[in-house]
Amino acid sequence: MVLETYKNVTGIKFGLLSPHEIRKMSVVEIRTADTYDEDGLPIPTGLMDSRLGTLEPRQRCATCGNTATSCPGHFGHIEFAVPIIHIGFVKYIQELLTITCRECGRILIPTDKVEEFQNRMEQLKKAFGEVSKDFFDSIKKEARKRSECPHCGSTQYRIELIKPTSFYEYQKDGGVTRLDPSIIRSRLERIPDEDLKLLGYDPSLARPEWAILQVLPVPPVYVRPSITLETGIRSEDDLTHKLVDIIRINERLKEAIASGAPTVIREELSDLLQYHVTTYIDNETSGIPPSRHRSGRALKTLSQRLKGKEGRFRLNLTGKRVDFSARTVISPDPCLSIDEVGVPIDIAKKLTISERVTPWNIEEMKRLVANGPDNYPGALYITRPDGRKIRLDFVTDRSRLVDELQPGYIVERHIRDGEIALFNRQPSLHRISIMAHRVKILPYKTFRLHLAVCIPYNADFDGDEMNLHIPQSEEARSEARLLMQVQDQIISPRYGAPIIGSTRDFLTAAYLLTRKDTYVDREQLYTLLAAIGYDGEIPSPAKIEPEPLWSGKQVFSLLLPKDFNYFGRAAVCKHKHTSPDEDCPLEGVVVVKNGQLIKGVIDKNSIGAERAETLYHRIVRDYGTAFAAEFLNKLCRLLNTFISIRGFSFSLDELNLPDNVKESIRQVIEESEKTVRQLIDEYRKGTLRRIPGKTMEESLEILIMNELSKARDRCDEIASSSLSLDNQGIVMVRCGARGSELNVGHMTACLSQQSVRGRRISCGYIERALPHFRWGDQSPKARGFIESSFYKGLSPIEFFFHSMAGREGLIDTAVRTQQSGYMQRRLIHALEFLRVEYDGTVRTTNGEIVQFKYGEDGVDPSKSDHGKAVNLQRLLERMDIKEGKTPLRLSEINEILEKYSNRLTHFYILSLRKLIRDKHLSREDATRLVEATVEEFEKSQVDPGEAVGVVAAQSIGEPGTQMTLRVFHFAGVRERDVTLGLPRLLEIVDARKNPSTPIMTIRLDEEHRVDRDKAFKVAQSLTYTTVSDLTAKGEYRIDLEEGVVRIKIDRSLMESRGVTVEDLKNLTITNATLEFSGDELIIKPKSAMDISWLKRLVNRVMKLSVKGTPGINRIQVVTEGNEWVIQADGSNLSGVIQVPGINPARTLTNNIYEIYETLGVEAARNAIIREAKDVFEGIGGGLDLDIRHLMLVADVMTNTGKIRQVGRHGVTGEKSSTLARAAFEITVSSIIDAAVRGVEDTLKGVTENIIAGQDMKVGTGIVDIYMTPNPPSRGE
Amino acid sequence: MSTQQKIKFNIFQHELVPKHSILTKDEVEDLLRRYRIEKYHLPKIRVRDPAALLIGAKPGDVIRIVRRSPTAGLAVFYRFVVGG
Repeated sequence: MVLETYKNVTGIKFGLLSPHEIRKMSVVEIRTADTYDEDGLPIPTGLMDSRLGTLEPRQRCATCGNTATSCPGHFGHIEFAVPIIHIGFVKYIQELLTITCRECGRILIPTDKVEEFQNRMEQLKKAFGEVSKDFFDSIKKEARKRSECPHCGSTQYRIELIKPTSFYEYQKDGGVTRLDPSIIRSRLERIPDEDLKLLGYDPSLARPEWAILQVLPVPPVYVRPSITLETGIRSEDDLTHKLVDIIRINERLKEAIASGAPTVIREELSDLLQYHVTTYIDNETSGIPPSRHRSGRALKTLSQRLKGKEGRFRLNLTGKRVDFSARTVISPDPCLSIDEVGVPIDIAKKLTISERVTPWNIEEMKRLVANGPDNYPGALYITRPDGRKIRLDFVTDRSRLVDELQPGYIVERHIRDGEIALFNRQPSLHRISIMAHRVKILPYKTFRLHLAVCIPYNADFDGDEMNLHIPQSEEARSEARLLMQVQDQIISPRYGAPIIGSTRDFLTAAYLLTRKDTYVDREQLYTLLAAIGYDGEIPSPAKIEPEPLWSGKQVFSLLLPKDFNYFGRAAVCKHKHTSPDEDCPLEGVVVVKNGQLIKGVIDKNSIGAERAETLYHRIVRDYGTAFAAEFLNKLCRLLNTFISIRGFSFSLDELNLPDNVKESIRQVIEESEKTVRQLIDEYRKGTLRRIPGKTMEESLEILIMNELSKARDRCDEIASSSLSLDNQGIVMVRCGARGSELNVGHMTACLSQQSVRGRRISCGYIERALPHFRWGDQSPKARGFIESSFYKGLSPIEFFFHSMAGREGLIDTAVRTQQSGYMQRRLIHALEFLRVEYDGTVRTTNGEIVQFKYGEDGVDPSKSDHGKAVNLQRLLERMDIKEGKTPLRLSEINEILEKYSNRLTHFYILSLRKLIRDKHLSREDATRLVEATVEEFEKSQVDPGEAVGVVAAQSIGEPGTQMTLRVFHFAGVRERDVTLGLPRLLEIVDARKNPSTPIMTIRLDEEHRVDRDKAFKVAQSLTYTTVSDLTAKGEYRIDLEEGVVRIKIDRSLMESRGVTVEDLKNLTITNATLEFSGDELIIKPKSAMDISWLKRLVNRVMKLSVKGTPGINRIQVVTEGNEWVIQADGSNLSGVIQVPGINPARTLTNNIYEIYETLGVEAARNAIIREAKDVFEGIGGGLDLDIRHLMLVADVMTNTGKIRQVGRHGVTGEKSSTLARAAFEITVSSIIDAAVRGVEDTLKGVTENIIAGQDMKVGTGIVDIYMTPNPPSRGE
Repeated sequence: MSTQQKIKFNIFQHELVPKHSILTKDEVEDLLRRYRIEKYHLPKIRVRDPAALLIGAKPGDVIRIVRRSPTAGLAVFYRFVVGG
């Protein structure tokens, strides 16, 4: 192998090029605004001058003599006739002009203060490591105050910037002069270096006058290659076009100056030049029209090349194209092992691995070379020891090469069976979207994969394509093998339970196999055993007469380890069985004793994927992932064979319900239609029960929807109770293979209410959904209720309604994927630079601590047992520790635990103490248990270097697509709307100050919480009530004769809101006196007012607070356990905790910012965790997520003592790395800012190192040689 | 709110607020040595933070926070008090 030198980029410095530097690096001054002459040769001093490099394949560069492939390209330059302002720096130019003296250039701060600031700056550097932007801002603010220079005494004038690039100065006499760029330049030149440092600029790398261009660098031709079209016409790059414009105007301006043309013409020309230079740099500058191509397309100039998704940063720098990869359609193959991937032979002939020829493999290598590129297994290239590479494609006589081959040669050979490969499916939402598989070369054209790994990849076979990568170096291969293999990914880091497991038909098959009445005969048994390669003993048959038969449970048990014990519940049975001794008619109690399935059926709850605490999960935990992978392989092959023998199909007839059932479903629907009619009648008569806080119309809608959903539930219930486990559809539903009870209901009973935006269908025509109905028809049928089932078929109108709801579903999915994708991108960029250090802390790559222990206990979720480091119950069972007779004394227990107190968390100390006491463990058993706990606990700790930030971001982002988008409505008893799902999660990570549905849960103190009436009193006192809330529709009367206004107060409203007459009498307002008499509130203005003033006064009175806490709108008193709790819409934490009667310590809000303001960051951190957790748990059963991920996000968001958003205006925006910010969203402005400040990006984070193309200091990249030759003593 | 009397509430009684306390000079030294860091590497808390205000922390102090943790039972956290 050729010796390679590895160089590491340790930093990238940003700065401005001085005119001197630009001229120095230039190889030619470009003066001609043209590219090629008639012969197609580059014009000297033209834009394609051959000294800038050459594009022609066999031509040599006129500067360095290299050909196009090895010439790095050389810059040219343009000398401007007049100085031109660089658009990117306008902001900084303006800032400097306003805070420095126009005469002497000094900063507008007196000398003593300057010194003070300099000292402060030194101190800050020491205390914080760097000086914050706030400090420089305060200096700038100070300097802006003065209108006279404290150094030379000259008067300063106001400078105004007319966008984009013109500066004006307002002289004292009212005259306005335009500042010529050359004047600005000379002013900037006068600013001393010392003053610039005080403002955060680095004068050694960026003098401000360099921001005004005198010379423009012309990029080499490789940056702007011209393309020759098929017709032979040359087409120039956008940048070349723009440069042509610049040169043309510049030359005209030069001529004009030389010939002494009038100022007007000169100014016009320099403005035009300014325009062209501005658009050359940024063609999206606001205030000027973008420069366009002849075709009308806006030109893509320098800024546009960097920015956005298609820009240099995101397209080429953070995402790179690779060799040794393949992509094709995927298809399933249950005969493969889960860690294999089937690779088509055609692809295998293109992908290679380089192997060095040694005396031990030379024969093999010779054979490969002889086979050549087209015969598998062969080789594509050989490399001689001198570095010459030979492509076997072009060699006609390979036998000569075969003879030549000797140790030291490198052969790039075809990949073979067993080779390690990375397999990936986009979108790569989590780390298990890329896993290492072993290659298996197969015929045909598709990648083949095992069905169990479809879940982590989220793949199906409706045309999905996947990618394959062949790691090339030995290091890469071993890393892939040790860290990325499928079996090491069985446990998901998201929730610490298997994500790879059985699905779909495997579950059906498992259920059918292990069911009570399943028996196999000898022949079938042997077929099944052959499928799993079983070579052990054949168990004795469960039945002998009339022929030997084996039960399905026996067959399944063959796969289990002999010492395995398990108790669990099957999914088929909905009862909550708690003891292994219980009997269940549906075989819902699953018991495994010594590797024998004693009772129960195996289904989703035993072997399913994405389930915690299943039989399969236990096997993974107790016997290791390698065993579990083999178990899953065998299991799938067994079940696959079994269901092929038995057969399984679902027929249309099975969806046909018996007539009497159909009849009762019809009756249910009829009945609820009747109820709805009654409700509508009541509504028309005005006797309908009104739901508090809702209008009558809303109440009616809610009541109808409730009624109809009840009807649907009844129908589904009737339908599913009439179907038994003989029904294949029901089998699939019950064992968790596919579908739900709801789906069965839709197919057999009735499709029920269709909804759009969470409401019954109403849009379309005026007052009706379709012209087939009458105006204002509220009946179920007219508003999208579908009586038919899929079996019966839908009427045209029903079909239409169904399509409306279906369309909404499609739109919803599309919107959701976009939103959650962006959320994930933000999370990744905000957390990528976090890693676990060797001391267990979580730090940023700059060394700032985010958590003192990862997840507060240092446990890696992917090494945990569903979030817990140790499963004590399971440990007891496994160690076979039996309950003792006499309990140990507490002091003895403590003595045992004492030894390990610093190696276990508080949580385990408490749990162990309780367990030892409750189980009456003996001293020896207790010690054994504690020691085993410590061992398991320490095994589950995170590894140093682990990129916990990225794992957290993925774990939170990946389930985003599965979340609901809509605002959730609690219809019925608890009538309140709460934002849940993805929108709520976005609110939390965005750190929004006001959630869209603020809600408070107010707990009461000892006195008020037990008594409903007392609780109600408190609730009434909380409700915010204004005067207008007490009037009927805000009615008032202006009495012109007396000059007063009378507001009619509704006594019943007063009563319902608990307002006393006293309350109203106490109201006051400026400019008028208020009186309350009878049922009227009388406003008497202190002075005469005309009508419009009176109206304004009335408005103010109407908004006057009568009682309650502002922000608290609707209130409900509900029971929670044995206490009364107030649920309030609207939130005002600081107000509510001061109200008597409530318990402030247990009063909560979902407004995180309010918590931050009243209770502090720590409380806010806890609130973020709690709210986010609710989002994940809130949705139907919930999405499983380890709390450590949320804790990390919350700790990052609150790390600076404020709540920071996950995104541009928060965590990512405050990242120290310029490149990381540029790669996220703030591309051009971050780079410009870095240039002015002379920032060095030290390439510590992940994004930066990806951009630089080197290893990131995270994960295995953390390993480095640390050596201190002479350790300095501390304090030096 | 005119008719209601207000009550003063100690936020440390709130279930969301963990215990805060100021570290002594020695403890700070010890902490910095243990993690081999400077003060500014610690997570921060503002002086104006209600909890920091209540225990009378000044910029430059380090606060110890004993959190109730869903994973570890109890967890200790530190924050460096900064201005603003």
